[in-house]
Order: sequence, then structure tokens, then C-alpha cells
Amino acid sequence: MLIQNPLNSSEWSFPILECFHIAGFAVAIGTVAIVDFRLLGLGMRRQTPGQLTKDTALLTIISLIVAVFSGLLIFSTDPDKYYLNLAFLFKIACLLLAIGFHYTIHRKVVFSGASLGASMLVACVSLVLWVSVIFGGIFIAFESLTFG
Amino acid sequence: MPIVASFARWLETRDWAMDFAGSAYFYPIVLATHLTCIAIFGGMILITNLRLLGWVLRSQSISDVVRRLRPWKWGGLVLMVTCGVLLAGSEAGKYYGNPYFWTKLTLLALLIVHSLVFRRSVYQNTAELDRAAVIPSRAKLAAALSLILWISVVVAGRMIGYYEGPTSLAGPASAAEALGR
Repeated sequence: MLIQNPLNSSEWSFPILECFHIAGFAVAIGTVAIVDFRLLGLGMRRQTPGQLTKDTALLTIISLIVAVFSGLLIFSTDPDKYYLNLAFLFKIACLLLAIGFHYTIHRKVVFSGASLGASMLVACVSLVLWVSVIFGGIFIAFESLTFG
Repeated sequence: MPIVASFARWLETRDWAMDFAGSAYFYPIVLATHLTCIAIFGGMILITNLRLLGWVLRSQSISDVVRRLRPWKWGGLVLMVTCGVLLAGSEAGKYYGNPYFWTKLTLLALLIVHSLVFRRSVYQNTAELDRAAVIPSRAKLAAALSLILWISVVVAGRMIGYYEGPTSLAGPASAAEALGR
């Protein structure tokens, strides 16, 4: 017997989840972007990248958790729609890369310092990965238009 | 509002709007850029407000957070609004009949009022806020209102895509409808 996902019983659950998802990734990517801007020598230049990361790390992780969990719930409403969707797979690949990069190489460069060139490269890779996650997410809904 | 309706009709029949609405790639790319701006620059707005509330970035002065991020927030806002105008303009007839769209515009108008009201006492007055022993309540009020308004803008914006009303001017089925289906 099939078990109904309770999220599918209300037409409001999907948009509400999406709002949490958007607010979550806005804060997560916004905080990461502040650090990346700093690595590029822009924005809050009076602080070190390490200071900025220390101050924003908690906010980044909490909002990332909100975005990921709301995302998992959105996924659960119609898994069949997502798991074969190229844009979705692209998004998840970029997300895993972005998270992995953020807590390894990015972290190392932020806290132990690197040459300006290396810092800028790391900031660009980070920004490109996170922005790719958003683009992948938007294209999930448009896949039939673009790949179909 | 017949003038607004005919303007909406005029707008959506412009060449650029028709090309735009007819292109499979353009709409999602502009939408994704709009969302990217919300993430990067909207995130900065959120953080500025959370700093005014004294919740994050406490090791940094309010002046630094507000002033250093200001040019980026302005740049992001311009890009975000440009994308928004392209999105709405390409399907103006549909947006005209959408109550969430008008809710969003009203909220954005309130944000302009908000920035004018608190400009002098909070956003241009950060040095004094930093000197105060505790963050003055008018700064916290400004931050709380800004947070509420911006979150409401995001929610109203998201709801635009869900509205299927009878009052919409007849228009072609569009990419926007595919979103969230």
C-alpha cells in the first residue's frame, strides 16, 4: 500500500517550504559571499577574512541546514520529478562540491592565509559553485523547455 | 485602472517582451539572476539588519558593516530590479491581474518609505550608534521592520508564480507557470 506524503495533502506546504528554502539559501550564500568579496579585496576590507568567517560561520551553517532540510522536504513531495532531472542532478553535484570546497580548501585559505592570487581564485571558485547551485535549482522547473 | 491595464497590454506586446517571453532560455536565466541577487545582496541586507539588532558580527562596528556593504547592496539592488522589470514586463498582462504582484510592489514602496524615514537617524548615523552603550531602540526598530518587509517581499514574489486567477488578462501560457508545478 502506498503511504501518502502528508506534505502533498495541502496546497500550501510547497510554497511555504520554498519560502524557507529561499530565505535559507539567501542567508547561507549571502554570508559566504561577504567572505568571498573580502578575499577578492572588496567590501569589508578592514576585517581579515578569518574574522569575517568566524563571525558569520554560525549563521552560514544554520541557514544552510534550513535550506537543505526544506530542500529535502520539497524533494520528498515528488521524488520521481527530480531524480532524473538533469538540472537537479547538476544542482546537487554543485551543492556537494560547494559544501565540500567551503569546509576544506576555502576554510584553509581563509584561516591560514594565502597569496592574493590564490585567495582570489578560491573566492571565484566558491562564488561560481554557489551561483551554479541557484541556476541549477531554477532550471529544474524549466527542464522540459530546455532539454526536452 | 484602465490606464495601468492598457500600459500592461502595451508593455507585453513590445518586441523585446515578445522575444523574451518566447525564448526558452531567457526567462529562466533572468529569473536565476534575480534569485542570485536575492541570495548575495539580499543576504547582505539581512546581515546588516541582524548586526543592527546586535545578533551577528558583533566584533565589527555597525559603521563598518553598514558602510562597507552599502555600494554592493546598491549595485545588487539595481541588477535585481532590472531583472524583475524584465520578468514582469515580459508578461505584464498576467502580472497586472495578480494580487501578489501588487502586494510585492506595495511592500517595495513601503521599503522606500522605510529607508527615507530611518536614513538620518540610523543608516547615516552609524558612528553615533557605535558610540552608544547599547544599540538604540530606533536602530533595532528599523532593522526589525526592514527584515519583516524584505522577507514579505520574498514571500509575495514566490507566491506570484502560484496565482491562477480569473482576473488575469488573457495571455499565452508561459514559462512562469511551469515553475513550482
